Amino acid sequence: MTDKEPKQVSRREFVTTIGGVGVGAVLGGGLLRGYFLPDQVLAIPASKGYLLVDTKKCAGCASCMLACSLVHTGETNLSLSRIQIVNDPFGAFPSGVTQEQCRQCPFPACVEACPTGALHADATNGNVRTVDPAKCIGCERCIGACPFSPARVQWNPEEKHAQKCDLCANAPHWSQKGGVGGKQACVEVCPMHAIAFTKDIPLQNGDEGYQINLRKGSVVWAAIGMPLGDDGEYTLAPGALPIGG
Amino acid sequence: MTGGYTGKILRIDLTTKAVSTIDTAKYEQYGGGHGIGSAIFWDLCKDKTIKAFDPANVLTIMTSPLSGTLAPAVAGRTELQGIGAQGYPVEWFTRSNFGGRFSGHLKYAGWDGVVIEGKSDKPVWIDIRNEKVEIVSADGIWGLDTTEAQEEIWRRVEGSQVGDWNALGSARDGGRTTQRPAVLTMGHAGETMSRMAALLHDSGNGAGQGAFGAVFGSKNLKAISVLGTGGVTIADPKALMDARMWSMQYAVAGHEKDFIPAGIGSMFAANPGSGAKAYGPSEQPAVPMGCLGCHKDCRVRWKSGASNGSSCVDYFFYNSYDAAKHGGKQTQAILDSTEMLQRAGLNSFQMEGAILWLNALNKLGIVGPGKQLDTDLPFDQLGESSFVKALIDKIVNKKDIGADLHEGLALAAVKWGRYDEDTKSGILPLQTWNYPQHYDARTEVEWGYGSLLGDRDINEHDFNTLVFWSPSIAALSGVQPPITAEELSAIMAEKLSPYNDPMMMDYSDEGIYSEAMAKLVAWHRHYTRFYKQSLAYCDWAWSDLYNQYGPKGRGMTGEGEPKFFNAVTGKKLTFAEGMEIGRKIWNLDRAIWILQGRTRDMEVFTDYNYDVGAVPGFTTYEMPYVMPVNENGVWSYKSVAGRKLDRQKVEDWKTLFFKLEGWDVKTGWPTRATLSELGLGFVADELEKQKKLGS
Repeated sequence: MTDKEPKQVSRREFVTTIGGVGVGAVLGGGLLRGYFLPDQVLAIPASKGYLLVDTKKCAGCASCMLACSLVHTGETNLSLSRIQIVNDPFGAFPSGVTQEQCRQCPFPACVEACPTGALHADATNGNVRTVDPAKCIGCERCIGACPFSPARVQWNPEEKHAQKCDLCANAPHWSQKGGVGGKQACVEVCPMHAIAFTKDIPLQNGDEGYQINLRKGSVVWAAIGMPLGDDGEYTLAPGALPIGG
Repeated sequence: MTGGYTGKILRIDLTTKAVSTIDTAKYEQYGGGHGIGSAIFWDLCKDKTIKAFDPANVLTIMTSPLSGTLAPAVAGRTELQGIGAQGYPVEWFTRSNFGGRFSGHLKYAGWDGVVIEGKSDKPVWIDIRNEKVEIVSADGIWGLDTTEAQEEIWRRVEGSQVGDWNALGSARDGGRTTQRPAVLTMGHAGETMSRMAALLHDSGNGAGQGAFGAVFGSKNLKAISVLGTGGVTIADPKALMDARMWSMQYAVAGHEKDFIPAGIGSMFAANPGSGAKAYGPSEQPAVPMGCLGCHKDCRVRWKSGASNGSSCVDYFFYNSYDAAKHGGKQTQAILDSTEMLQRAGLNSFQMEGAILWLNALNKLGIVGPGKQLDTDLPFDQLGESSFVKALIDKIVNKKDIGADLHEGLALAAVKWGRYDEDTKSGILPLQTWNYPQHYDARTEVEWGYGSLLGDRDINEHDFNTLVFWSPSIAALSGVQPPITAEELSAIMAEKLSPYNDPMMMDYSDEGIYSEAMAKLVAWHRHYTRFYKQSLAYCDWAWSDLYNQYGPKGRGMTGEGEPKFFNAVTGKKLTFAEGMEIGRKIWNLDRAIWILQGRTRDMEVFTDYNYDVGAVPGFTTYEMPYVMPVNENGVWSYKSVAGRKLDRQKVEDWKTLFFKLEGWDVKTGWPTRATLSELGLGFVADELEKQKKLGS
């Protein structure tokens, strides 16, 4: 990049073209010094970690929900899980089950909505969007602000504060190190390996960036006769092989 | 702190509509599930000679301390007990169970289980939302099939909130959930009180055997729905998470990079979807589908959406006919047929036996249009879903021969005057007590013996893949089995405590009548009563005796079961202690059957087991029988196809078994010494009062 006349860019343009560099790096100057960004764009630094899912691989077992609540609270409780699996057992494949993970939005409505700063980007933990319970006053604006359904922020009725996915930055009931530099309980426990962790900001265009194909390239998935295609179909001729493809 | 338990069992009297609670602490010594269910039944069902449809029949629907937790292949299972309507000639006190997530939600709602007594004057369903319990009119739900009934209950409980945060009650801290209620329901078969009626939960989770669907029908109870927003207290959460990740090394999930494909060996390490994918059309896309917290996820969700969550005999009742009709391939017909079976709420084992039998009778010219057993059942459409549709309609709605089949296979055969003849030839493959053959009593004897001396087809596969499928498939394919017969016997000698006898694996013509086989059957009854039916470890993953990923092929059993139990509860149970609790529960059950009228001379297989050599055809799926044998001190796998049981040798073996168990060898009744040793002195008192105590 060279020093040029400053140019305006839209939020969408900025995020989708910058990719994994992150807002922090831009502010720090260096390579991208040439961009002049509108004030409202850069209030909150981007997370250094994200969860990606493959709903065509999810068995609906909710092990992720059990592990999440277990490592954070010490009890297994679906209502206290920071990832929600919504399962219609009668639904046909590839619909029927969805994995509703927090997207660690680059422009987090939940952080912006919080009047006390309880819900914030934690700079000591890779800017993960998380709740400081001590500051939470229980107004639930964060829950209402989440643009996704079900809201990715939950109300914890036992400890009486909001809570959300922190990529296991604070998972006291686990012997592993969590956070963006460590492991995530849901990723580790998922028996279908239908959840993955990435440091790169996903595309913010609908679901595409956050729902990916984790089946192709899996020896296990092909061997157990399941389809590998992006659309949930077999990529080889139907019934051509006794295994998946 | 004791984790795992909520401390409260819900008790509902449908006659008076009274809702009360039982303290779990009173029964905690039995572990959970079956043990607690048997103990509660003992206390609450005073006259154990009543029939299944008597309002005084007590149903227990029990969780385990592991329900709703992260223990693998256990968290979603629920144990169901009571006097079943299937047993013949006696409606034995029996059990069934089902997977899914019902037990998890009971725990999250604050309940260790539900006890149902009495009979409602009008059709009702039970609506449990956390601590709030209501008995509600079933108007608009009675008459719906198992899928429709659940969807209607979801609408009533969650409305449009499914998939979004739904608050239970108006208080901020009253609990919220995104989940659908977990519902257990009967279908039309239960509403007409068919002795083939099952109970269904979600898609494909069935309490199939025992005709508990009919018992629900007799109580005017359509369904139970539970939605919970609480959690399960875990005594040592770190230990539980660590244990879960440790166990993944024994599973496919832990071996993405060094996956050992297929092979029949360990159930715990078997492939996801393996209970279903191969039994439907190979070109139809699908994804594995699993119970709450399960690592294996053995069922599938299909692109057609038909028969989601079904497995094994839900397909086997008909898949061979589908293939025979359609050039050797599975088609949509089997998925549609299974879907119909599940929606009607029918026992797939009774249906498998029914079709085998009817097909044989049709070929003999006895069943068909204008025949002795007159029916317009379209035998020319056998293999199409239209045949199944017609058969289900006849059974559920009691049309022509369906009116008799409605009462289950044994009573239909008695009505037709064919029971003795057809169980002698085996075209009616009822092995014991009106339970169709699941595995062959003439070859895999631990299965047959356990079923005979108990109340039903045991349906416990702990040895089945290792002693039957693995060597038989190996013999057929020319491939070596994963372990030799000698290695198998060595693993079992290590694992099967307290007996630890390698000869327990001897299925030779002498071995099947030996004391070592008595030890195997005893071990199996004790282990399954506690670990699998009371703690709810799933039969499709546990026990883990041999595991291809384990050190020298050793699986987790012995270490794994107590590890999860202790992490959750904070107790320090040893494997041996659990086995003793299992022996206690088994003796309690034995006492109940004795009070129902059990005598030694009733415990006889049907005639074909003694008169006809074992060959495939008594089920739709067995293959010729290669099993481990020890002959002259040498272990090998050998074909035992064609074997029959010897009546006198079976009787002599029963004597060995009764002696081993501390029961009176003349009657098969437990003695006071045995019962007292187990803390069941009160049971001995009752048996003595009824003049049924062993001496």
